[in-house]
Amino acid sequence: MYELFFQKLKEKISLTAEEQEIIKGYLTPKKIRKKQYLLQEGDVCKNIAFVEKGALREYTIDEKGTEHIFQFALEGWVISDLYSFMTGEPATYHIDALEDSELVLISKSAQEEILKRVPCYETYTRMQMTGAYLAMQKRITSLISLSLEERYTSFIKQYPDIVQRVPQHMIASYLGLTPETLSRIRKKIASHP
Amino acid sequence: MRTKQTIAVIGATDKMGSAIAKSLSVGNYRLLLYAKDLNTCKQLAAEILSKHLLADAEAMDCSMHASWEADMIIIAAPDSEYKEISVKIREVATQKIVISMADPLLETYNGTITAPENTAPEDLQQLLPHSKVVKAVIDNKRAEVFIAGNDQDAVEMAREMMSVAGYHPILAKNLFIQL
Repeated sequence: MYELFFQKLKEKISLTAEEQEIIKGYLTPKKIRKKQYLLQEGDVCKNIAFVEKGALREYTIDEKGTEHIFQFALEGWVISDLYSFMTGEPATYHIDALEDSELVLISKSAQEEILKRVPCYETYTRMQMTGAYLAMQKRITSLISLSLEERYTSFIKQYPDIVQRVPQHMIASYLGLTPETLSRIRKKIASHP
Repeated sequence: MRTKQTIAVIGATDKMGSAIAKSLSVGNYRLLLYAKDLNTCKQLAAEILSKHLLADAEAMDCSMHASWEADMIIIAAPDSEYKEISVKIREVATQKIVISMADPLLETYNGTITAPENTAPEDLQQLLPHSKVVKAVIDNKRAEVFIAGNDQDAVEMAREMMSVAGYHPILAKNLFIQL
């Protein structure tokens, strides 16, 4: 239920068995089925979700009804509307499950309690935030500086698991392409590997 | 709240459990119904679904799995079963709101909400130390529900839920009050 969560945690910080038990008491295990929402736009995002098993996506829907995927999350990743989580303002993103998933949720109050009782947890959250920032920087750079083809090839190189598990039209949405454009790019790559 | 909340009802076919499940089916909730007799539970789910077009209810064959999926857990089974239930759900109920609805209300209304010696919800909190236990005592004659708990957010969520279910919620610091 928390195996991957603690495995990832221990990659960053060393924990005693006692500290692990303390943290466990503040975690909320939650199963969610495919297509169910973890969060809908307009609600306050009360949790950060760590994916133990499964796949989720975070997205907005524009006025025309088009979905724009901001993030995917597979096993070992974290997903949340961070702005809403931090400020208590309504969420601007939807989060739903692409597969039946098992999550570990951490509420703000639970996180604060963990930080109080297990101070080294701060190192983990800081590293997590830094990681998220760097990923975001990479994503923005890719969107503004790479050609459409390069965007796709760098994505499949970086996230081969997502390509295997997520429908093409969602990958197109994530890359800011129409499904038709993505299809054209894939054909081009297939004919000139 | 727009995001549909999942509620596990344990002891769903008990008198109180089926009443609360039916009342909640009009709200934006997904109900996971659990009772020892799966067939009766399936009948209850079918009844709920046939009455409300938008209802979302499902009979579950395991209280642990129902609670694992749930955002909130209602225990409507008799308090004599608390120990057995808590052993099954403890690990998946961490940090979740658990509403104790085991009916301490006397069938013959006698002026007190509950017998002072009834400590079932407190026991439940001990049995589920990492959950947010809230007591909810329903007075069906007045369509009122008395709600108490240590965690303010949990009490507020329970209050909202009981309102949706059609009860008038009254927040009580202590349920052992005289009416």
